[in-house]
Order: sequence, then C-alpha cells, then structure tokens
Amino acid sequence: MVLEIVVMVKQVPDSQEVVIDPVTMNLNRSMTRNVTNRADENALEAALQIKDKVPANITIVSMGPPQAETTMIECLARGADRAVLVSDRAFGGADTYPTGLTVASAISKLDHFDIIIAGEESSDSSTGHVGPGVAEFLGIDQITYCSKIEFSDGRVTAERELEDGTEVVQCPTPVLVTMLLGSNFPRMQTLRRKIDATKKGIEVWNLEKLGLQPEWVGVRGSPTIVRRMQSIKERERAKKPVTLEAIPDMVKELYEKNILKVK
Amino acid sequence: MSEFDAIVVGAGPAGASAASRMASSGLNVLLVERGDPPGSKNVSGGILWGQELSKLYPDWEKSAPLERFISNKVTGFLTDDSYIGIDFRTKKFEKEKTGYSVLRTKLDGWLAKKAKDAGSTVITGITVDGLAWNDKRVVGIKQGNDIITSDLVVLAEGANPRIAIGEGLRPPIGDHDVAIGIKQVVKLSEQVINERFNLRNGAGMAAEFSLGFLKNGVKAGGFLYTNKDTISAGVVIDIAGLRKDNSTYSFNIMDQFVSHPYIAPYLEGGQLQEYSAHLVCEGGIDYVPKLYGNGYMITGDSAGLSFSNGMVIQGMNYAIASGIAAADTAIRCKNSGSYDLDQIAYYDNLMKDSQAIKDMKNFRGISKVTWSPMVHEFIPKFAESVLNGMFYETGEPKKHLMEIALGSLKETGYDRKKLIIEGFRLMRKM
Ligand SMILES: Cc1cc2nc3c(=O)[nH]c(=O)nc-3n(C[C@H](O)[C@H](O)[C@H](O)COP(=O)(O)OP(=O)(O)OC[C@H]3O[C@@H](n4cnc5c(N)ncnc54)[C@H](O)[C@@H]3O)c2cc1C
Repeated sequence: MVLEIVVMVKQVPDSQEVVIDPVTMNLNRSMTRNVTNRADENALEAALQIKDKVPANITIVSMGPPQAETTMIECLARGADRAVLVSDRAFGGADTYPTGLTVASAISKLDHFDIIIAGEESSDSSTGHVGPGVAEFLGIDQITYCSKIEFSDGRVTAERELEDGTEVVQCPTPVLVTMLLGSNFPRMQTLRRKIDATKKGIEVWNLEKLGLQPEWVGVRGSPTIVRRMQSIKERERAKKPVTLEAIPDMVKELYEKNILKVK
Repeated sequence: MSEFDAIVVGAGPAGASAASRMASSGLNVLLVERGDPPGSKNVSGGILWGQELSKLYPDWEKSAPLERFISNKVTGFLTDDSYIGIDFRTKKFEKEKTGYSVLRTKLDGWLAKKAKDAGSTVITGITVDGLAWNDKRVVGIKQGNDIITSDLVVLAEGANPRIAIGEGLRPPIGDHDVAIGIKQVVKLSEQVINERFNLRNGAGMAAEFSLGFLKNGVKAGGFLYTNKDTISAGVVIDIAGLRKDNSTYSFNIMDQFVSHPYIAPYLEGGQLQEYSAHLVCEGGIDYVPKLYGNGYMITGDSAGLSFSNGMVIQGMNYAIASGIAAADTAIRCKNSGSYDLDQIAYYDNLMKDSQAIKDMKNFRGISKVTWSPMVHEFIPKFAESVLNGMFYETGEPKKHLMEIALGSLKETGYDRKKLIIEGFRLMRKM
C-alpha cells in the first residue's frame, strides 16, 4: 500500500523584506520577493523523511494567486509528486475560516489521504488557524506544533515541544500534523526534478471544481474584518554610562523617577 | 541522444541572450540560474552602453526596463577637500542614445522572461555543480547526483567562473584580474534627482571619479549613476592595493565616497534600498582564455570580456554580444548537424571580429594605467593645487599658469622620472 501524504503550503512575501506603507498602513508587497513559507518547507521535509522509509505519494495543496506556481514547482523540485494550486478570484481576501474550508474541500477531492502535514503558521499572518481548521472541516484528529513525526503500522508518532519537556503523541491515520518552524533541514531542490516539474506544470483548481458556493469563500465568507493596521514604533531607551561607585545614585534616581518601586 | 541541444549556465546578460537567441531559432535550450529571481545575485553600476540588444529585440528601447538614457558624462577627481570634474553634455547623446542606466534585478528578470518566451526551459534557484565529460568532450552538466545532457554547454557564470576554473578551462583568478565592486541604490524622487543633477525628460547622468583622497596606496574609483527615482553609487577597488593596507576595509572606502563633501549632497535624504558587492573583471585581453573547446563555449565575464578604462566600465554589452555569437555558433552547428570542434571554432572567429575583443586588444595593459599612482594620486593632487593657484584669491599678484604648475608639481612630491614614464603610458593607452 502506498501512503498518501498531503502537504499544505503557502507562498508568502519574504518576511525579511516586508515593509509597511507609512501612508496606507498596509503591507507593501510590491517590493518583496515571494517565497515558500518557511515552516511549510519543514512540513514538506517531514513528509519526505517519511517517504524515504515507506512507499508514499506526496501531494502539495496550496490556496493562492497564480504566481504561487513558483512555490509549487519548488516543492516538486524538492521531492513532492503532485501539486494542486487552488486558485480563483473568488478566494481573494479570505481570512482563516474560508481558507480552511477551501483547502479542506480541495483535499477531500483527492482520491485518498492518510496524513496531512502543515507548517505551524504562516509568516505573513501568524495565526496558526488554517491547519487545525482543515482538520476540523475534515473531521479528523490533529497534532499541532510538532518537532518530529514518524509513521509506522498505520500510526503517526509525533513529538511536541512543551515548555517543561517533550510530549509524545500517537494517533492512527487519518491525521493532520503541524510542524514547528525550523524542526528539520529542508533538502535542496534538484535540477532534474525542477526541469520535470517545469515541463509538466501544476494542476490549478477553481471554485467550480471544488463545488463551493461563492458566498462561502474569499472575503464574502470571512467573519473577521481588519479594521486597522498599525505599525509600532520602538521606544527609544535612555542610555547612561555609570561607574561602579555611582550605582547607588543611579538606583536613587530611578526610584525618584518612579521607575523603581520599593515595597 | 542528448536531452537538450544546448544548456546555458547563468542567466546574466550573456546567458539569457544566448538562450533567447538559440530558442527562437528552434533549439531545445535549458537555461539554469542560481539566483531566484534572476538578477538577485548580480551587480552592475550600471550603464548599458551601445545597441547590442537591438540585435535580439529591435524594440528594446521601448520594452526593456531602462531607467534613463545617458545625456551627460562626468569624469572627475575627488580629493579630501575638492571636486574636480568635466561635465560633458551634448545634444548628440539625446538624438542617438549611447547608453541607458539599468537596474539588474529588473533587467535580468526581463531578459530571462524573454528567453522563456522564446521557448527555453528556464530554471532558477539552482546552482550547477560542474560539467559532465565523456571521452574529453563536454556532454552536459552535473547537479547533485544528476547529469543533464546536451550537445553544447554555454558557460555564462559571470566574474567568478567556478565551473570554468574547476574544470580546468581557464586559469584561476589573480589579484590583478578582478577588482571589488560595491554599490548602493538610494531612493529619492524622480523630481529631486532631476533638480539635483539638472536633468530633464528621462535624461540621466553617469559619473566616474578617481578617489584621490585614499591613503597608503589604496586605489579605487567611484561612480554615481542616475536611475529613474534612485541613484546608484558605488566604488571599484583595486585588490592588490587593498591587500597591502591592513587598516582599510573595502566598505570603509564606500563610506568615504558616499560621505565625501561633494558627493553626499547628491544622496542626501535618500533611503538606502540595496547594498551589494561583486567582482569586476579587470584583467583585460591577457585574462581572456581560450573561448571554446569540445562541447562548450565561454561567454561574458566568465571569459573575462569586460573593459574598463577608468572612465567607463563595459561588460554587459560585451556579455550580450558574446552570448549572441555563441548562440549563432550553436545554431550553425545544429543546422549542419555537426558539433565538431572545428564547427564550434566559429565562435572564436565571430569574437575575433567583435568590438569586445578589438577594444580589449586596443587597450591591452590599460589596467596598469587606470590603477597607476599617476591617476589615483598625482593627477588629483596636481589638479587641485593648480586650480587653487589659479582661482584662489590671495590678494597677491597673480602668477602665470606655468609657474603655478611647476609649484604644484613640487607640492605633490611626485618623482619626476616616474611621472614621465606614467604620463607617457597614459597618453599611449588611453
Ligand atoms: C560594481 C560594478 C559596476 C559595473 N558597472 C557596469 C556598467 O556600468 N556597465 C557595464 O556594461 N558593465 C558594468 N559592470 C560589469 C557587468 O556587470 C558585467 O560585465 C556583466 O554582468 C557580465 O555579464 P555576464 O552575463 O557575463 O555575467 P553575470 O551578469 O555575472 O551573470 C552570471 C550569472 O550566472 C549565474 N551563475 C553563476 N554560476 C552559476 C552556476 N554554477 N549555476 C547557476 N547559475 C550560475 C549568476 O547567478 C549570474 O546570474 C559592472 C560590474 C560591477 C561589479
């Protein structure tokens, strides 16, 4: 039997380059390069490591605009077998709720799936909702924030990093797992695979193919409304060099300025 | 059977031009670029001189992402306190465009897209590791554990040709073959740039300076080019000189240039958008290796096809020209059905007659002059001293020019014999 793994990925603006437009307070994406969400690369690598051991098929599913194709090709070049981009104008402006619904319905259109792996969150919105949302829409179990996963005998064993230790969770398939950013080292793309992927291209599914109603998806299907974006200015910290002898004076000064309090 | 007629390594101006030309003649071409997107690893000043692109895209002046056409050319010297420059403007440059300022991320993206539209398979984000050989013939490229085969490989790796060197196709790079280029792109508005440089209607300025303020034998040139709403400012540093002085770092020179009292005002209030560094080919004709062999051709900077005489850097135009020549050779091979060495030698014939090789032959040894103490130390100081003598009003009786010049000569403390030799070289080479 061949294990069917689905990896959820998102194309995001390179977080190192994102700037907030000082006038509109929107993210200015025009100057930034688009990259694969880093945690999703860890999700794909986790899937590939399972595939290194057992026969498996890896399908990439992503919701995004047509230019997300480059991310999908990259995933194929790293070792995924199939890529489905869910793309339609109707999906635009979606918050995490219809995004979960849309991705879940795309996954349910695949013949079969055993394990779904997603990144813990996307670097451009950082909600961490979409993976768990997909599990809920599909009605399957989920293990979130994993540092490591393994598959054997129809079960997924996952390690979760907690504040005071590691939790090991085991769960039969089908299951959705979200991987921590930096939990592994994503392998490189190979030229051979990238040529093949480029020539073959990816599959693009639209609203009609998913059989969803326009009012369920995109901005119309989104319960949250962003009222305002604000960029936060870092407060300039006061600096003052002091000598060892002057420390009592400094403490006194802080006390007088109401910065230090005495019980 | 090979998978591709030709594989091109590197999507700079050389590689992208070669791929586009071959693909539009029906060849099955693979273009591999490690940068993603193309251009993200590349640096030019940059002014694209000449009309090379018209051979590929007759409408390039309308469709390519060009910033401004060059309407004036400034050549000058900077000392600690002074700016001495010749600002050349002519109506001729407005009628017949001689060069355009460009930004590589935009230009390379456009060139790669053209190559793709022509039918090449363009792969980005992947570094080619080496060449695949069979019986002393290049039969493709190596990447990871894979070999991708082709009848011809066009190497267009740029100024640090690791494959060409690694495969023994050209000697390694020495200190005199390359210089260090550092550049920053500073954002201002189109209007502010127009006002600061006295420019109108899409016209732009290209300025190069010899940095006479540097000490301890460190030598560098500085450049300032106007783009639409940004300025490219940078330095090109002689490596041999820099090596001898342990107290100066390359970025110090950049800082000194952009904060020079007569450069800083041009950039004032601008926002730093890019900061990059790259090698610049400087070796001249003696650094150009054999351009071809069994199954391969070397183009652009990889082949050392770059020219600088201290007043301009040319490389992109030669890169494009060599890419076209390599493509025409490949097309000829494909049409004749033979990829034998004597067929590939056609590339060498084309290049021998090219402007690139002719320019480089004409100016053989130019780097000895462009990097001479004469250009970098003597002339700036001498000129400053003479001009001070002529224009600085001291209230004393005025001297004749000759008198001032002799006095200034003494002031520079420059050895006269050396001056005569270097002066003679300068006249001859320039
Ligand atoms: C500071 C500076 C200022 C300059 N100013 C000017 C100017 O004003 N005008 C001018 O005409 N020229 C200028 N030049 C020179 C000009 O940039 C070069 O001559 C020109 O870029 C050469 O083109 P090329 O295609 O040969 O190489 P490049 O433009 O360097 O392109 C080589 C490409 O190959 C890719 N590559 C390399 N190795 C591999 C590999 N193994 N696998 C996959 N891809 C690979 C690189 O990522 C790169 O995209 C300047 C250079 C510098 C550094």
